[in-house]
Amino acid sequence: MILFSPLSPLEDLLRNVLEWFHGTIGLPWAWAIVAVTVCVRLLMVPLAVKQIHSMQAMQAHMPEMKAIQQRFKHDKQKRNEELMKFYRDNNVNPAAPCLPLLVQFPVFIALYLVLRQFSKHPPGGDLSWFGSLVPDITAHANAHWSGYLLLAIYVGSQLASTYFMSTTMDKTQRTMMMVLPIAFVPVLVNFPVGLVIYWVTTNLWTVGQGLITRKLVPKKPPPAPKRSSRTPPKEVAAENKDGAEPKPIDEKPADPAQPRRVKRKKKKARR
Amino acid sequence: MSAVFRLPAYLGVGLVYLYRYTLGVLFPGGCKYHPSCSQYAIDALREYGLVRGVILAGWRLLRCNPWSLGGVDYAHQQRLFK
Repeated sequence: MILFSPLSPLEDLLRNVLEWFHGTIGLPWAWAIVAVTVCVRLLMVPLAVKQIHSMQAMQAHMPEMKAIQQRFKHDKQKRNEELMKFYRDNNVNPAAPCLPLLVQFPVFIALYLVLRQFSKHPPGGDLSWFGSLVPDITAHANAHWSGYLLLAIYVGSQLASTYFMSTTMDKTQRTMMMVLPIAFVPVLVNFPVGLVIYWVTTNLWTVGQGLITRKLVPKKPPPAPKRSSRTPPKEVAAENKDGAEPKPIDEKPADPAQPRRVKRKKKKARR
Repeated sequence: MSAVFRLPAYLGVGLVYLYRYTLGVLFPGGCKYHPSCSQYAIDALREYGLVRGVILAGWRLLRCNPWSLGGVDYAHQQRLFK
């Protein structure tokens, strides 16, 4: 207890909030946890909106960004450096900042402490979730089969949320972030079910937010700058053709046909 | 600096790695800067020791907010301690 004393104000605060949801609003404890989670994420919505705006602004710079990525294909360090420089110069940055993430940690730790207290001194009221499906949210996830079900849902939601959150990461990092949560399951089995409820809720929120972001930010960049990005490869292709003279008969009919086809497709997409 | 004096800083570096593979995975996110905040913290701790490293990393975290522009920012480029 002494070890956690600096966190006790946080624990008390969260306990009061949970008690308000339970006592005044009349929610069962499990739904009170969901409500707290939703409140935390609601507070973070303005930050998400800011990021969506930044992502929208970035769409106009897609060709330049792709050019940078191509130029430093094999040098990860230099690629990231150049991309960050580019973001800064153009006043856009699609990456999520670190600071808002930190907001979630204290809530999470406080919730863990409150649930630990609840399991020692059970509060009044219903500690189950969905009737008898999840009998006790303060018990460890391995105490009842429903805990495993919840953990399975958690892993699914975690993978989905990582998928949406890691769009700015490179592939290896992204794969690692996707695989590691599965490795955590044996540890999470010893966590109270209430905490898993928090996780599932916050992950599902992330997924929902990610889906909305996708709708608001078109995947295809605006057509006008994309055309300019296409011109250099054409020139490069033309240069190559001049250099390699024995093969022109095979290459020439194929090459001009390809860009035309793409252009037609693009026109259809725009309509 | 001798190895004994560096020990607290290495403890800090260990904590950052612990964060990376626990909470960092459970709460995925990006970073607006290059290197990322956790890498910056590791670099700062290694170069400037525990106290200054923690201050630098804390200041960097505060700068990694939704209103900042991000960009390239290495620990050795800091101007807080000279």
